[in-house]
Amino acid sequence: MTSSPSDTEATVHPLQEFADSAAETVGGEAEVQFDTIKLRVSAERWVDVLTTARDDLDLVFFSWLSAIDWANEVEAGDPLKEEIEERIELLCTVGDLTEGRRVTFSTDLPTEKPSVASIVEVYVGANWHEREAAEMFGITFEGHPDPGPLYLPESFLGNPLKKSYPLLSREVKPWPGTVDVEAMPEKPSTENPSTENPEA
Amino acid sequence: MVTDSDLAKHLSEAQVSVELQTEDMTLNIGPQHPSTHGVLRLVARVSGERCFDVKPVIGYMHRGYEKLSEVRTYPQITALINRIDWVSGYANEIPFIVAAEKLMDVEVPERAQYIRIILTEMARVSSHLVFMASYPLELGAATPLFFALRDRERVLDLIESVTGGRFHPNFNRIGGVKPNAGSGPITKKTPQDLPAGFLGETRDAMSVVLDTCEEIEDLVAGNEIFRARTKGIGVMPPEVGAAFGVSGPNLRASGVKFDLRKVEDYLPYDQFDFDVVVGENGDCWDRWWVRLEEIRESAKIISQAVDGIPPSGPLQAKVPKVIKVPAGETYVRAENPKGEMGYYIVSDGGPGPYRLKIRSASFSNISMLSWILEGVLVPDIIAIMGSLDFVLGDVDR
Repeated sequence: MTSSPSDTEATVHPLQEFADSAAETVGGEAEVQFDTIKLRVSAERWVDVLTTARDDLDLVFFSWLSAIDWANEVEAGDPLKEEIEERIELLCTVGDLTEGRRVTFSTDLPTEKPSVASIVEVYVGANWHEREAAEMFGITFEGHPDPGPLYLPESFLGNPLKKSYPLLSREVKPWPGTVDVEAMPEKPSTENPSTENPEA
Repeated sequence: MVTDSDLAKHLSEAQVSVELQTEDMTLNIGPQHPSTHGVLRLVARVSGERCFDVKPVIGYMHRGYEKLSEVRTYPQITALINRIDWVSGYANEIPFIVAAEKLMDVEVPERAQYIRIILTEMARVSSHLVFMASYPLELGAATPLFFALRDRERVLDLIESVTGGRFHPNFNRIGGVKPNAGSGPITKKTPQDLPAGFLGETRDAMSVVLDTCEEIEDLVAGNEIFRARTKGIGVMPPEVGAAFGVSGPNLRASGVKFDLRKVEDYLPYDQFDFDVVVGENGDCWDRWWVRLEEIRESAKIISQAVDGIPPSGPLQAKVPKVIKVPAGETYVRAENPKGEMGYYIVSDGGPGPYRLKIRSASFSNISMLSWILEGVLVPDIIAIMGSLDFVLGDVDR
């Protein structure tokens, strides 16, 4: 089997055609990555885009809505390898109920005071998903019929899924692996064997 | 056997009296109510026997898996996601592992694919058998529980014999399944595979499960009380279900012929012959019936997989010792027993994801509770809630 770079470039992903036509219908930029269509749109047109997706593209099934906090400084987990433009990326995946097509819509919001119009009027299932995204990322969904925390208690401070929010259990005790903080049972520390048993 | 016309007559005679005026009352159900399958709380406003407003309160079991995943490596995360929907722990692993394999461009050996299909469908059978046990129980029939749980135990024993775990197998590895599949001392260095006699026992177990389906159908379907309490109760139109993100058997019961096993390629289901079961009315009865039929379809898939599994071959593709997933984003979803389960992985090329979004089925399924429970009779709250078959671990994540 021969395969040269030009061959792979020439292969068009089977989803590309649908992705392009969807991008044309709603107005946005489509990208097919690992069998997932991601369609970037502007935040101002968020509700219009999803209304068009539901009515014209027949994507009637609401799958999920969530966000990604793109940050250079992280308190938990590994930082990104390259410096990026800090933003909150809002994602919403909707699909059809016939051929299994699905599109992940994406829009960028500012890290400080992110705010976007609610799509509960378009997909009623977005209600809980938006409440989750609101408490986890601090996004304001304007026009949400029932705002307020979903999972977290009323008194909870902060937005846990933001990268600036530390994982408290790791603050108290670092994760074993790089530093093994406690010796395993039945296996004494090998650091200083002579001090442990001076008689030997 | 009760006919539908008998039932209609019975229902018309059993109208609730509306003459008695009572004060509105707030009724708190849960978070420790047996019918909530965990810790769901409902705040229902009732007027007499009618409930006119229901507010589900969730979050009592929120474990923050999405945050925890950001500080764990890919192989460690499978241990977490087993515990999302614990009634079908094995099926939870599949979309996550497939998503990681997709990003890494790993081809899984055929034999491992077959083992995955057998175990996923077994997870579906065991999950639906729990529903077959618990749902009639919630409506007052205790006997089906014993029939269903007896055979579920048989299926769980088979899962345990391969993976070592009944509920949380943690059996998938990126690139295949655990290389020493099967019981036996792990110190023994000989390559192990499925336990001896597994395929034969699976075949037997599936014929037993099919017999049990007959028994349960005889026992439950003809029961006048069960029919009266489920037929025409909690009707969900397909367009409402779709807008709420209700998926899986709940949506199919409303007549939507859509099954991710038919349209997505996360496992080679296209090599198997099975039907997508759909209901007609989208009521509690249809949701019960669709699940019963799905057990039969899953048994069909398992039997075909047992017959068609390659007799030998590798269980794992070649992957590096330290798993690092190349940068990229993908969403992989699978048809889990409860509905669409998916993972959106954002990788930066490191040993763990930068962000992992978990799309769980029960979360969307019960988000429509306040819609479907509006205006129903108080006893129907339990009938409708039970018919949606949710697990709170899958709601709260």
